[in-house]
Amino acid sequence: MSLLKPFSKLPALNTANILLVESEEQFQQSLADALVKETGVTVNVRLAKSLPLPMENEESRPRIDLVVFIINLASELSLKSAEASLKYLDPGYFLGKVCFLATNARNASVPTERLDAVRKLAALLHCPLLFAEDQTPDGVANATERLLTILKVAAGLVPMATALYLSSLTQCTVPPDIDQPSFD
Amino acid sequence: MDDLSRRLLQRLVRRIPAQALKTTLGKWDRLTAAQRQSVDFTQPKWTITETLLAIFEENEWTMKHVTELEMIHIIDNPNQGMWYAFQLMDPEDDAKSVELTQFKEQFKAHLSELVRHVSVKIKKHTDEAVWIRIAWGDSFSRPNHMKPTYVVHHLQTPYVFVTSLTSKQKPLLSQALILSTRHQGIKDANLSGRKLAAIRDLLMKQYQQVFPTKYPGTLTEKNQTVSNPRIEREQAELGENRFQMACEAFGDGMLPQLQSAIYKLETKFRDHTNKTMTEREELPFKCVVKFSSTNLLESLRECAASGIASTPVTPLLSSIPLKGRNYFVITDNGLGPSSQTNQPQN
Repeated sequence: MSLLKPFSKLPALNTANILLVESEEQFQQSLADALVKETGVTVNVRLAKSLPLPMENEESRPRIDLVVFIINLASELSLKSAEASLKYLDPGYFLGKVCFLATNARNASVPTERLDAVRKLAALLHCPLLFAEDQTPDGVANATERLLTILKVAAGLVPMATALYLSSLTQCTVPPDIDQPSFD
Repeated sequence: MDDLSRRLLQRLVRRIPAQALKTTLGKWDRLTAAQRQSVDFTQPKWTITETLLAIFEENEWTMKHVTELEMIHIIDNPNQGMWYAFQLMDPEDDAKSVELTQFKEQFKAHLSELVRHVSVKIKKHTDEAVWIRIAWGDSFSRPNHMKPTYVVHHLQTPYVFVTSLTSKQKPLLSQALILSTRHQGIKDANLSGRKLAAIRDLLMKQYQQVFPTKYPGTLTEKNQTVSNPRIEREQAELGENRFQMACEAFGDGMLPQLQSAIYKLETKFRDHTNKTMTEREELPFKCVVKFSSTNLLESLRECAASGIASTPVTPLLSSIPLKGRNYFVITDNGLGPSSQTNQPQN
């Protein structure tokens, strides 16, 4: 078991590296294409289906500044896979360098229990939870913009802000009465 | 021209779209040029029927000619009902030398020995297939041309494809086929589908297959979607492996279109925490799993390639193309021989 560590490598100048983890490998591709178009900083994208990452890429892999778990709410497998992958992250990442991105939340067939489970998971790990629309170009552009904002902070490219500071403001919180049946 | 053949012609014209009717009549090649001109395909169906009926009366054509027309249409558009595959077994020494004329004579003779009233029509299609149209009757009734059975057989192959056959007629057809093709038995091939071409391709392995190899050359090039140097797939190799394995199991390129696959489980229930279920020891635990899709094999390949189904592909799924069947009965000893419950129904 090899943990992915946030500070085991040196950062490169004006560069931010993001790791997109998605079990279905659909949305991550369009997201990656949009992310690398950013001109202000050099964005490197790594795509993975699940963690742990293969050992043989260890050398070539840059320091990962932000890990994004993409969860398709329409699929139970997607959530289970993300949960299983979380074990292979160094605890240091949870100080503001992990975020969850949920898709398909507007789909009527999604059970509310799964949405609650994702929210609880994000709240428990003190991570922000973003919602995105993966079908339309607008939705992809929106999600890209939000991720870039977090990524720049996490990579230390924004003066006076740190990932820990940002995450204390953006982390997901769950209302205390979420488990009560009347909650909606 | 009698009433029956008139009704059959009416039904036939009603069922065939006007444009298809034009080509069918063209292929039939019995109408003179003038007669063909007189049929106006832009008219409503009943007018076309009237014109055709008049031509039939004029030439004194009978049921034989109407069925000819029907056959031409069915050969061109075979995907209208469920097709069931059968496999001939234990060929005799002279099975390889059966040729069309001999087969025709033998088949007709054997079938009319078994059933008094039966009307058989045999036609060889361009792709080497022999098409047989059987209108069944019994000892008291004349052949029913409204519900014909169609049989497709490629000479010198063990496969027979049948549509709309009732369980009562099945033994009769089986016997006639066995005797005329010089085999000793016939069995259900456990394959059925709406597309005749698809089940034929699957059984005769006429689709693009991929064989296991350690050196995937062309496949990796095809699968390269990542173009930007700043995007990198961490598990690219894994993905390619999955794709390769999915192609090995289901084939590459276009796949035969199957509509469904059925798995019938008849196994013992093994869970020691559940007393009520394990106590009924002798009784098997029965359940039926059915996969259906417009193109089942394509869907399964996609499932395996995208990682939704685990790879290497389980033998349960890969034996659909491998064994060419889509009905399985699973007993405790693995994939057991299927029982006789899958008889084609009308």
